[in-house]
Amino acid sequence: MILVTKARLNPAALERSVSSPKHGAVASFVGTVRSAHAGRVVKAVSYDCFVPLAEKELARIKAAAERRWPVRVAVAHRNGRLRVGEASVAISAGSGHRAEAFEACRFVIEEIKRRVPVWKKEHYTKGDGRWLAGCALHRRS
Amino acid sequence: MKRKIALYGRLRDAGHGRILSVELPKSVTCREALALLKPSFGRLLDGCVLATGDEVLAPGDELPAGTLALLPPVCGG
Repeated sequence: MILVTKARLNPAALERSVSSPKHGAVASFVGTVRSAHAGRVVKAVSYDCFVPLAEKELARIKAAAERRWPVRVAVAHRNGRLRVGEASVAISAGSGHRAEAFEACRFVIEEIKRRVPVWKKEHYTKGDGRWLAGCALHRRS
Repeated sequence: MKRKIALYGRLRDAGHGRILSVELPKSVTCREALALLKPSFGRLLDGCVLATGDEVLAPGDELPAGTLALLPPVCGG
């Protein structure tokens, strides 16, 4: 399962999609909008996303994880405006044992931060906002 | 020729809207196109790349046909 959506994320559905009777482990990571950053009080975050390329990059990351470990991976990323506490990204990895499930989850979130075309603008309680700095993209061969 | 370039992230606040319509040479590399866009965006263009819906383009790639996107450094998650 690969998903970029304006709808609320459903981490339980991701977990179900990677579950199998052959699996002894499901590890999940859920990123959420926090209420403070760099000394500012945050009331919301707007996610902007180049959807066609983001979906392809998420699929490539999922495939890379599934080549590297014996896991089944699902990932979903939000788009649009989120309130504090809402889930912005959810990842699940199902596998025979816990080690590869944890490692795959960590790999996927780190790759998302490096290469998926998503941007976030924090909105502060004083009414102003700021686009956050990030990682420059590069073509991958 | 006239090209349409979709803008994302901080570039949407640069006063050009969501789609930039710009005159570019018919045959131009991404590096050359970015240099031509620099006056419109200034330092906001630092770290930006051009992309299609399939892939990020390298500086030496010739601009392909179709709609392009101009992407600032990313910070998903």
